[in-house]
Amino acid sequence: MTTTTQTASRAVYPAAAGLGLAAYVQEVTAQTNRWFIHIQRERLNLFFSIAQPALWLIFFGGMFQRTVDKSVIDAPNYTTFMLAGIMVFTVVGDAVAGAMPLMWDKENGFLAKMLTAPISRSSMIVSRFVFQMGLGLVQGCAILIVGLALGVRIESGVPGIFVMLVITGLLGMSLTAAFLGLAFVVKNHGDFFAITGFITLPLFFMSSAFVPLDAMPGWMEAVARANPLTYAINGMRHLVIDGWTSSLPGDLLVLFAFASLCLAAGTSAFQRHPV
Amino acid sequence: MTLAVEVHDLVREFGPVRAVDGLSMSVEEGEILGMLGPNGAGKTTTIRILTTLLRPTSGTAAICGFDVVREADEVRRSIGYVMQEIALDYLMTGREHLELQASMYHLPPKEVKRRVQEALALVELTEAADGKAYDYSGGMKKRLDIAGGLLHRPRVLILDEPSLGLDVQSRHKVWEYIEGLRRDGVTVLLATNYLDEADRLCDRLVIIDKGKVVVEGSPEALKASIGADVVAVELESGAEELAAALAERPEVKRTAPSHDGLHIYVPQAASFLTTLIRLADELNLSPGAVTYKRPTLDDVFLLHTGHELAEEAPP
Repeated sequence: MTTTTQTASRAVYPAAAGLGLAAYVQEVTAQTNRWFIHIQRERLNLFFSIAQPALWLIFFGGMFQRTVDKSVIDAPNYTTFMLAGIMVFTVVGDAVAGAMPLMWDKENGFLAKMLTAPISRSSMIVSRFVFQMGLGLVQGCAILIVGLALGVRIESGVPGIFVMLVITGLLGMSLTAAFLGLAFVVKNHGDFFAITGFITLPLFFMSSAFVPLDAMPGWMEAVARANPLTYAINGMRHLVIDGWTSSLPGDLLVLFAFASLCLAAGTSAFQRHPV
Repeated sequence: MTLAVEVHDLVREFGPVRAVDGLSMSVEEGEILGMLGPNGAGKTTTIRILTTLLRPTSGTAAICGFDVVREADEVRRSIGYVMQEIALDYLMTGREHLELQASMYHLPPKEVKRRVQEALALVELTEAADGKAYDYSGGMKKRLDIAGGLLHRPRVLILDEPSLGLDVQSRHKVWEYIEGLRRDGVTVLLATNYLDEADRLCDRLVIIDKGKVVVEGSPEALKASIGADVVAVELESGAEELAAALAERPEVKRTAPSHDGLHIYVPQAASFLTTLIRLADELNLSPGAVTYKRPTLDDVFLLHTGHELAEEAPP
């Protein structure tokens, strides 16, 4: 009897209950499928999620082109400079939007229904990751294609593009985990939007997205250096403008650390019992 | 034999409020047990503990022998749960809802389509299966939820107010499905604040008030325990006077104040009426209406809690 109890108490993953990996895959697949059903039925949403980042690139690149000092941005043109920032901006927007289905599920009771099913809690997060990664990949490619069409040259070539997509994915996973965790712990969607609305834009402006770090006032540079977005932007920006540089491993290291932190925070939020 | 549901001395506090206050009950296998009580009696809180959504403050609860806290995963595997609120994904069809649910309960992938089809047929949603569930009527949504609760053939089905907010026709449909489950031997725990629902569907009832079980038994036994007819007198005032006067009469077993007057329990209501009218006349009381009936569960509720069930129901 004691043995049974111990086994069952560890049965967070179905594997411990003898159902194994197949059951876990079934849970994740079915939930991921739900998100793809959503995007298929929300075509307009799909269209704008892909078209909007590309539009940002065209707007920002075109708008600031002539006001920007090339020696400050250290790039052939502003579009080239902005490319990395737009990719990160898109990831931030996706991560906030990606937590919304959980928010609705929580408020209308669907989440409670899911939580009474014998599924691993992590399958709920993982299914969201799979979906967000898929969407992020398509968006990233769309931005790159538009960038290339606008004459941006990626100095690091195709392997560099691959690393850029990895950086996008890593940051996407971190922020998705963080915002899913937030959606899980806040009381209602009003609080969720208040918090995300308050932090997303400053997070973006207080990074190296628009201006290089060394062109910022000292205090702002200090803030930007503490901002994980800066490392994703700088990592990608160097791959675009300068090719392979020695700063890349450092940027990746910070992003890995940030991802671990967000995953830990997100998981702990999920493990808390919902009211 | 292991009990399907076993709750012992359960307590759940929300800050200073004790929503569940030392509740104990059990459900045997194959039985339909009703939890009858007004809103706020602690029924839903108890159910949320049984379905692993909430941890108890103290006490224990087990489903099929599995502890709801320590063996939550086994408990989740054993139950089907139909919530009070209708929770739907607004973009998915009825069929997609059930397919998702089937996978959440790890039905063999090859069987998913067939089992979903069966469940849809059971609740008569086959034709509407590929329409968005969001556009269903209230009754259809509830039926879809019930189908979801049954899909994986749970050992215990937990229904929280299954007919709340439904029109008469849909209510009867839902009742028919639940009666069908009884024939199939499914164990059902049903929370309700409808007397007719409890009376019609349940093998046994626990009457819950203020987080505790006040009395339990079959609906028939509970009604028989009143042991008398009930005469209801409508009175603007003077209920206490009348009660005092009646206390001296040997044929009156008991009186209880009701929301609009007085309930009087007597062995033979018909022969008692003349006595009552005369007495009221002597006391200068003018009863609005005097009715008598066989005891109902409402009388059982009134007898054991000192207040009526209906008056606490929402408007």
